[in-house]
Amino acid sequence: MENYTPQSEDFEFITDRDITVDKNFASQGYWKGVAIHFFRNRFAVVGLILVAAIIIFAVFAPIVSSYGYQEIISVTDSAGKEITAKSLYPQIAGSAQNLFSDRTFIFGTDDMGRDLWTRTWQGARVSLIIAFVAIFIDMLIGMSYGLISGFFGGMVDNILQRFIEIAGSIPTLVIISILAIFMDKGIGLVIASLLITEWIPMSKIARAECLKIKEREYVLASRTLGAGSFHIIFKQILPNTIGPIITQVMFSIPVAIFTEAFLSFVGVGIVLPQCSIGSLIEAGFNNVTILPYQILPPICVLAILMLGFNLIGDGFREALAPKLEDM
Amino acid sequence: MKKFFSGQWKVVSGKGSGVSGKWKIFFLALFTFHLSLFMTGCGGSDSAGDGKLSVMLGSNVVSLDSAQATDSASFEVIADCIDGLMQLDSEGKVIPALAESYDVSEDGKTYTFKLRDAKWANGDDVTAEDFVFAWRRHCQKAEEYSYIMGNTVACVKNADAVIKGDDPKNLGVSAPDNKTFVVELDAPVPFFLSLMCFPTFYPINEKFYNTVDSGSYGTSPETFLSNGAFALTSYIPGTANIQLKKNDSYWNAAQVSIDGFQYQVVSSSDNALTSFKNGTLNVVSINGNQVEHVKKDAELSKNLNSFPSGYLYYISFNQDAKNHHAGALANVNLRLAISNAIDRESLVDNFVMSGAKATYTAVPVEFAPNAKTGKFFAENQKQFADYVGFNVDKAQGFLKAAKSELGKESFELNLIYSNDGDSAAKVVQAVKSQVEENLPGVIVNLQPMPKAEYLSNITSNNYDIALVDWAPDYNDPMTFLTLWTTEGCEIAEHWSNADYDKIITDCSTGDLAADYDARWDAMYNAEKILLENAVIAPLYTNANTVLISPNVTGIDFHSVCIDRVYKNVKLQ
Amino acid sequence: MTKYITKRILMSVLTLFAIIFVLFVLIRIMPGDPFPVERMSAEMILQKREELGLNKPILVQFADYFSMLMSGSFGNGTSLYNGAPIKPILTACLINSFKIGVLSIMLGTIVGLTIGIVAALNRGKFLDGFCTVVSILGVCIPSYVFMIFLQYFFSYKIPFFPYFFDPSKFLFSAIMPAMSLSLFATSTIARFTRNEMIEVLNSDYVKLAESKGLYGFELIRKHVFRNALIPIVTVIAPLVVDLLTGAMVIEKIYGINGVGKLMVDAIAGQGVDYNYVLALGIVFSALYIGAMLVLDILYGIIDPRIRLATKEG
Repeated sequence: MENYTPQSEDFEFITDRDITVDKNFASQGYWKGVAIHFFRNRFAVVGLILVAAIIIFAVFAPIVSSYGYQEIISVTDSAGKEITAKSLYPQIAGSAQNLFSDRTFIFGTDDMGRDLWTRTWQGARVSLIIAFVAIFIDMLIGMSYGLISGFFGGMVDNILQRFIEIAGSIPTLVIISILAIFMDKGIGLVIASLLITEWIPMSKIARAECLKIKEREYVLASRTLGAGSFHIIFKQILPNTIGPIITQVMFSIPVAIFTEAFLSFVGVGIVLPQCSIGSLIEAGFNNVTILPYQILPPICVLAILMLGFNLIGDGFREALAPKLEDM
Repeated sequence: MKKFFSGQWKVVSGKGSGVSGKWKIFFLALFTFHLSLFMTGCGGSDSAGDGKLSVMLGSNVVSLDSAQATDSASFEVIADCIDGLMQLDSEGKVIPALAESYDVSEDGKTYTFKLRDAKWANGDDVTAEDFVFAWRRHCQKAEEYSYIMGNTVACVKNADAVIKGDDPKNLGVSAPDNKTFVVELDAPVPFFLSLMCFPTFYPINEKFYNTVDSGSYGTSPETFLSNGAFALTSYIPGTANIQLKKNDSYWNAAQVSIDGFQYQVVSSSDNALTSFKNGTLNVVSINGNQVEHVKKDAELSKNLNSFPSGYLYYISFNQDAKNHHAGALANVNLRLAISNAIDRESLVDNFVMSGAKATYTAVPVEFAPNAKTGKFFAENQKQFADYVGFNVDKAQGFLKAAKSELGKESFELNLIYSNDGDSAAKVVQAVKSQVEENLPGVIVNLQPMPKAEYLSNITSNNYDIALVDWAPDYNDPMTFLTLWTTEGCEIAEHWSNADYDKIITDCSTGDLAADYDARWDAMYNAEKILLENAVIAPLYTNANTVLISPNVTGIDFHSVCIDRVYKNVKLQ
Repeated sequence: MTKYITKRILMSVLTLFAIIFVLFVLIRIMPGDPFPVERMSAEMILQKREELGLNKPILVQFADYFSMLMSGSFGNGTSLYNGAPIKPILTACLINSFKIGVLSIMLGTIVGLTIGIVAALNRGKFLDGFCTVVSILGVCIPSYVFMIFLQYFFSYKIPFFPYFFDPSKFLFSAIMPAMSLSLFATSTIARFTRNEMIEVLNSDYVKLAESKGLYGFELIRKHVFRNALIPIVTVIAPLVVDLLTGAMVIEKIYGINGVGKLMVDAIAGQGVDYNYVLALGIVFSALYIGAMLVLDILYGIIDPRIRLATKEG
């Protein structure tokens, strides 16, 4: 009996026997749970609607509009003379106050005679594109950096973390200033400054998540089966860190839009006659007391975007870790 | 009720004294205008501050060191605090300041100034040595404005050599005694005395200068010594607020009636208007939309004054083949096409708006009156209508010629401009829109940049097209026409024309210098060469639009040298 | 505790040194000369480079610069304000910015904490909703936009505050910029405080304290506030630096002589001044690291676990 070798007859398939399966939650995956929690949160849904509305306008309004965003519009005045349609208060075709019965300028025109409706949505489009592109690249950089640092630990982690500590201690403003010295003004500068500064919080989150996850059994199992480091990082750990990262993305996008607005406002951002939310606010600021309607649309769009992304971020965070609201 | 009359134009052809030569009328024909404000009636002054004069400054003071100042804000503050040999009176005539009297030699090449008894604020006498020190220092430091000492303008003997690194002792200035200052020139300069109002020619107290740490002269009230009407009480470089008080040791202190005043740097025209409305500032400059707004307001528009500033805005084409796209701008037809595709009237009416005038000549309108006829040099704006104007058909004709000559269908050009004020941004956007609409195939890319970077680009020949604004340094068409010679001033169009150069040399130091009418005609010929080659495309002459509280009178506005002088200001 | 503080200070000094080095090298290896070269002949440029020590190896240059820093000087400007010594100008600007910054951080912390606590204690009621709206507004609107409106309404429509910054009435004229600068801090702190407070209020030890008969202000002070404060302290440090960014525009609009305006002048003014950018970069980083250090030490004082952990480690 000491040297008994198990025989195939000693084993049997268990398919025939009854297994108790939890029918209630069996079909509910991780992401579905997150989605349910997210949509149960009224604020988050409001945020989603706001952002979606702005995106829809930003995508379609400039296409549908009858004016180009750079076009200086001429109108015929009451004396039959062609004049530049500059600094017109909002005009709706057919309404009694309309100066030019056939023209509609929903947000009015700016002091160059361009349609503010078109420009506002074009600006929103540019700002959103900048934010999405910059934050997406930041996400890739930050995530890889954090995962590598967290996974390998030891010396690698130490060096990478010292680097982050130093890079993170240089204020964003200083980095932007140095960039502004030798880069041309424009979208490139805005994206570059976002790239350099915004990946750091992402990498911190990725590292923290990685440290948590790499101790789990399934990672150990995978390693035992001979999986390489990069396989483990990208196939096993990464999918499980995506939740907190997306939350961070949701909070980074408004920061990016804010930064763009700030840079354009101080004059190192978007080059005219292109426009972004920031350059529109800057243009409106030059006439804020005498033509206040010009500054309102870009500020409102900015505020709505900020609000929307913050609400989505909050909702997402709570949906991922449903502790507060669900108790 | 307040009644308010705005200032009027006075063209002054002064009478020279002690200057020989035919230029003596000419050099005093500095035109400026006097702001004559008469206020009658009562009026609870709601828009006045707390009895103190507060003036808007459009940009930061670059430097209070007269050797390094390059901008009108710096010149203005320096002139508040330091007197030169001569000054402009309220009517724009050149009158003696620190000089009690002066003598000019027969050949017009030696000036001898006798200084009056004046004191620096620390009690030192103002001596001729102070001038010698300052002039030598300016040439030696070779900063941006040192060219004004050299042979294109003041022609001070050996100035160019000293600027290039020669021993400053060789400069043609000397002080035989404490109160006598002698200047030797390389050529007679008809407007030399008017130049003496310019801050670059002001004195610096050498003894005081040497007590100040190296590099910190003029960076605080303690490191800056005044001998003029006012003295600094609060200033650091880059400050938004400058406080001045009356200088009691000023030689003409009796003339100054206010105890002091302050400057507030305001960069936005909208902020300027609101701060005037609520009484924070008494004197503000506004532009664009704010001017339109004020004109519609019956009460506010009474305070509105407009003064020609002499600023010419023009488009400079860089013809250097290695810099722009495939040498396209070296083609005269392309340049003419662009120049004729710009609707200057629309530009001025819709986008500049502050009383600016569309300009079709290389010399701004309402500038440099003929000493004999009193007519402005650029009186006839139609003179060069063949080359400069707005005619889409003609422009497209030129473009067609350019396309066939160059064998290209499209041209992409970069337009650089300084993004300091918002009016430049509007102008270039309008130009871009007009050019692209009227000239299919031409694309203009706008490149805004900070002033310093912009200046370094236009002076180092690194641009395609640039929006340039040039203010006259002295009251003669030459202040503009010398810009485009081969030697050139700083902005390099990379254009060279022997005929043009010859006319300019003849007019400044050559045969024509002595014949007034012939010189005048020759300058028109030079202008013609310039414009038929479309070296530049003139756009407009800017105006200064100023709001002044009714309780402030006596600010002198000038279009050359110092923009505003406060010595005669009275507050009510 | 002493050991913990010493260790933190040492780390901060090392980080600052590293940053000074990085900034210095970054700015020196940038293309172009740090002085205007347009009107200079080739010999003059060479001479100027020699004068400024730009021909030496970069490490030697750094050693020179660092020893100059240690002697308390930032050197002279290269193109801004005619090359005057940087230190007096920087000091004057720093004092202005610092006062307004401290004022706005104080304002932000006090108002933010109040809003957060009130919201948490009235969770789900009208006051909670109101506080949430206020705190969301702060995150949505840039401080400079808020400043524009403050200036328009409270110094123009109702001329109560001065229209431009007036150094002679410092506190009075600092209120509007400090308010607008504190907007973001206020709302961040309020949101954070509310969430932390709610979490602590729901915790077992508070419930235990309540069941022992502790209630009202005593309960909040002894058990809730202290525990809720720890995470809140962490958000204040980054806010210090956000202040600087906001200050750039606000100082320009309101005519304040501060470091933000100085920075704008140094990168976009009359000339790009490398030495000012370097000096300001060092000062900003030092401020940031200093703020982090102070808050870390505060953190240790508030939360005994941290210093215990370092003592063991």
